[in-house]
Amino acid sequence: MLKDVTFGQYYPSNSFVHKMDARIKFLLCLVFMVGIFFVQSFVVFGFITVFLIILIASSRVPLKSILKSIKGIIVLLLLTVVLNIFFTKGDPEKDKLLVSWWIFEIWDAGLYFAAKMFLRLVYLVMGSSVLTLTTTPVDLTHAIESLLKPLKVIRVPVHELALIMSLTLSFIPSLMEETDRIINAQKARGADFDTGGLVKRAKAFIPILIPLLVGGFRRAEELANAMNSRCYEGATKRTQMRVMKLTWRDLVGTLVVLLFFVTVFVIFGMKSQWINANVDWLYINDVNWLYF
Amino acid sequence: MDIITLDNVSYYYKTYDENNDVSYAVGVEGVSLSIEEGAFVALVGHNGSGKSTLAKLLNGLILPKSGTVTVAGLSTADKKNLFEIRKNVGMVFQNPDNQMVASIVEEDVAFGPENLGIPQPEIVERVSQALEQVGMTEYAKRSPHKLSGGQKQRIAIAGALAIRPKVIVFDESTAMLDPLGRREVLNVAKQLNKQGMTVVLITHFMEEVLDCGKVVVMSGGHVVKIGSPMEIFDDDRLLSSVGLDAPRSIALSRKLKSAGFNVTENCIDAKVLGGEVCQNLTNK
Repeated sequence: MLKDVTFGQYYPSNSFVHKMDARIKFLLCLVFMVGIFFVQSFVVFGFITVFLIILIASSRVPLKSILKSIKGIIVLLLLTVVLNIFFTKGDPEKDKLLVSWWIFEIWDAGLYFAAKMFLRLVYLVMGSSVLTLTTTPVDLTHAIESLLKPLKVIRVPVHELALIMSLTLSFIPSLMEETDRIINAQKARGADFDTGGLVKRAKAFIPILIPLLVGGFRRAEELANAMNSRCYEGATKRTQMRVMKLTWRDLVGTLVVLLFFVTVFVIFGMKSQWINANVDWLYINDVNWLYF
Repeated sequence: MDIITLDNVSYYYKTYDENNDVSYAVGVEGVSLSIEEGAFVALVGHNGSGKSTLAKLLNGLILPKSGTVTVAGLSTADKKNLFEIRKNVGMVFQNPDNQMVASIVEEDVAFGPENLGIPQPEIVERVSQALEQVGMTEYAKRSPHKLSGGQKQRIAIAGALAIRPKVIVFDESTAMLDPLGRREVLNVAKQLNKQGMTVVLITHFMEEVLDCGKVVVMSGGHVVKIGSPMEIFDDDRLLSSVGLDAPRSIALSRKLKSAGFNVTENCIDAKVLGGEVCQNLTNK
């Protein structure tokens, strides 16, 4: 029943993007996400679309798996679009009022804003799913540990956090198996998970959660013993087997992404009237601060 | 030379009854034992006989309430010694899933050497050597949860080996495995012992102790007998009193012998015994 659930959404391949260093991918993904939020005009969105198409093509991940990730935010998307359409008040001097009914008003500015918000969210998710689809969870953990290392200076337990992440990753499959076993055991004793109202169904899960929790504590103790037996004493003087090496791919990838964003923003960022209009109008309307 | 010495060691578990009153249950009591370097020692006993408690005492996971445990001249009672002691005593536990630290085989094996602070190139060397010793080299980049129980347990052994200990303790490492997995783990244990490693094998499968040099029988937290496997198997009364059985082939060969068959007494190998029985039947 739960066996099919694979953790993470890694799509194995040997593409250019797959072979890039996880740290670089992570940082570039951040650049992309921040960049997306500065995009104000449809022309620039067009360029971003081209960029995403090239990125996805070079990662050799099927478009279907990338689009799948949008499913998860579909409610948020609808909500954002609807709220923006109905509750954006335009400036009567510049914008056109399209529909007015009861307390609702639809302005053309609202439509534009909703469309941009929609694109922004969709591209955000698509961009980050390229990262998770081309990087194994293990690599991602290592990348985060390595990138957060400077925080050790201010006593953030970076190593411990990374260890917790990697232990979680390695325990998910066995916890899944255990959940499956418990569900079967409870079913064999006549437990019913599939009928009844919401409350009844929620209650039916208590006999699963409790053994799972107790089992979890037992596992944790055994794991602690195993780790102690293997000389674990925290991060002090610990070394690492894995070396992360940067290659020409990382250089090329970084240059391409940075050049793209710099060029697009230099050419369109300064001149575009769309931006000026939007920024002015942003000060008028408080609601949209939420999304900015 | 003795690598591990236990001198009159006792350990008690705190238990609470429904009134929250504290009482103490015996883990082990008055155990004195010495394990020579390079020996192959088996600890056998029924559930609750104290054999796993004894295992945890060997590398300082728990400390004796009285008596001393000395490993390579260092007492486990001193916290400063524990790191050095654990470097010398590797442990493989019962549940293979609960001792995996990483989700890639080679990274799991590297966990020990990483903790020791060994330079990176040497870690790589130790990991590949340890994986070779247990015959799991080709699985280095795989995820452990897709492997069989025996394979997972061999990874756990490699994880202990990568620390390069003098002693390796198998704390019922075969109890959760199928017969094939048990054989895999046992073969690795025997091989390691041949290479000079001190092996402490904790088990309740009597078949597994046949190749051991010394068998320690435990019951109720006490050591009740120490001897060679044959000496232990010969003592029927002792075995039945502690709830253990002699290996089936041995028990059968004895019965056949007393029934007048011409077979080797205390036959270890079931195939040899089978051959002898056939021989007897054709002769009659």
